[in-house]
Amino acid sequence: MSTAVAIRGWEIAKGFTVGKVTTRVLEALSVEVLSGELTLLSGPSGCGKSTLLAILSGLERPDGGTVEALGEPVWKLDRKALQRFRLRHVGFVFQGFNLFPALDAVEQVELPLGYLGLGPGETRRRAEAALDEVGLAHRRYMRPAELSGGEKQRVAIARALAKRPQLLFADEPTSALDSVSGQTVIDILHRAARAHGTMVLCASHDPRLIAHADRVLRMEDGRVLADEHHPHPPSKPDAAP
Amino acid sequence: MVALARKTLVYEWRRYLPATLAVAFSGMLLLVQLALVFGIFDSAAVYINASRAQIWAGYPGTQSIDLGRSIPRDAEMRLLLDPAVAQVEPFQWVNGDWRGIRALGSVSVFISGINPAADGMAFARAIPPALRVRLDEPGAIIVDRADLPKLGIAVGQSGILNGQRVYLIGTTRGLRALGGVNIVTSLATARQLNVGGDPRPAYYLARLRHPDQAQAVAARLDPHGVHRRYAVWTAAELAGRTVYYWLFQTGAGLGVVFMSFVVFLVGTVITSQTLMGAVAGSISEYATLNALGASHRALGRVVMEQAGWVGVAGLAGGGLLSSLVLALAASQDVPVSISVPGIVACALLVLAITLLSGLLAVRTLRDADPARLLR
Repeated sequence: MSTAVAIRGWEIAKGFTVGKVTTRVLEALSVEVLSGELTLLSGPSGCGKSTLLAILSGLERPDGGTVEALGEPVWKLDRKALQRFRLRHVGFVFQGFNLFPALDAVEQVELPLGYLGLGPGETRRRAEAALDEVGLAHRRYMRPAELSGGEKQRVAIARALAKRPQLLFADEPTSALDSVSGQTVIDILHRAARAHGTMVLCASHDPRLIAHADRVLRMEDGRVLADEHHPHPPSKPDAAP
Repeated sequence: MVALARKTLVYEWRRYLPATLAVAFSGMLLLVQLALVFGIFDSAAVYINASRAQIWAGYPGTQSIDLGRSIPRDAEMRLLLDPAVAQVEPFQWVNGDWRGIRALGSVSVFISGINPAADGMAFARAIPPALRVRLDEPGAIIVDRADLPKLGIAVGQSGILNGQRVYLIGTTRGLRALGGVNIVTSLATARQLNVGGDPRPAYYLARLRHPDQAQAVAARLDPHGVHRRYAVWTAAELAGRTVYYWLFQTGAGLGVVFMSFVVFLVGTVITSQTLMGAVAGSISEYATLNALGASHRALGRVVMEQAGWVGVAGLAGGGLLSSLVLALAASQDVPVSISVPGIVACALLVLAITLLSGLLAVRTLRDADPARLLR
């Protein structure tokens, strides 16, 4: 299992202007996130955790500072190169599951793989393996309308995992779920970090997640107040790769 | 590759139905108005299209068949002398004034004096031989059944035409004219009705031994030169001149172009709005795909593919609607006429509507910004 630095951010600054008022969301924030760990960005809403996630993942350009992901200077890449970087290396899980209503679970997972240029056989194999990993192999031909909220989020996670990303970002992945589903989702994310050495960065104000994270970055007012490491057993037996 | 565009169209067909219907109705409107205009203006050339002659001789420079003037009788001899010509007959054109049994005021009519022989060429497609030979009776006339109310007469009754009594011996279909009522008589009856007019016929019709030689024979038989006293055309040429004269001299052609533009505009507005709504409804899903690395170009292709399928479905629906409407029109004696170039032109316009709508909907994808999913 690798614990190398996957993402480095230096002096990240970001403000939003609404009308004539500019609000500073992040102020000269520096952070390192490691591979093979589930790192939780925790804090009240409005503390800047989602903005930090967006900047580190290459979705939102910072006003100042540098982000280096897997050795690439993310915000020095042009639009196309950044898109290619995200395609190859980055997976996302959002609070809203954002699944296409017309596609069944296996097609949802296959869809982004198509853009990687994989053949149909490999695409199907990876999609089924990813659904198996999130425990939904038996629901693979169901459409979103036939799945529960927790199952939908697991399909979304399978969609992100099937790409085999080195970086996985999750924004409030459990906020819309009941406690059991939330528990399942966080276990899957944790296992993905351990099993594949993936960097998993999760932004959430859900206190239930804190116990499951390898590391918790507590944020408030655009700054990291505390950086806590939680010792965990290296890997659960049922989660072996 | 997962067929996202097609699967979404099938699964969410209700969402795309308005666009498909807009395309279908645009196609139908385009085609039906074209068919109507050509149907109406084709009736200006009914004399030519309902006849079995391949060659027409008439006054030089005639722009439309109803504007003919008398030509010298030696034209008939000249035509008959050509070995390619099998049969020649005169066509008499007389303007008439009708009074029916019931007083309906004066009705302007066109009198066509034709050869009443069973193998006569003029109106051979519209008048069956058995009815045609009865035109030999002095004062016998035939009209289109749709013109009966205008003339205020029934079969077997008589009326006054240019001051002389005539008898309606039968009706037929496909004789309706653009400017007035067509009344068909024998050449002899037409001569009697032509009071004070030029007794010479306006046209000579010729049937060829080999109809496919019409163009070459017409070119050979035309006297050429500025001082020629008659000109020779193929039937298609004279019909074309007549239809285009009516289309463009009356401004109807411009009307067709204008109406097509309006239909195009309305079709595009409705179709693009529907497609934009569909894109906006799935904007988070598109943004997620973009976050996972699918380019906006790739997402745009999905939207264009949807527009393409909407176009294909709309085209099929429009074709079906048009067939129904045109069949209904034809059964009600509404003049309609469709041609392959007309259908192709309408289909191209319909595809242009969907293409433009698709491009407008692709612009909505600019809102597919994954950073918004994190706010």
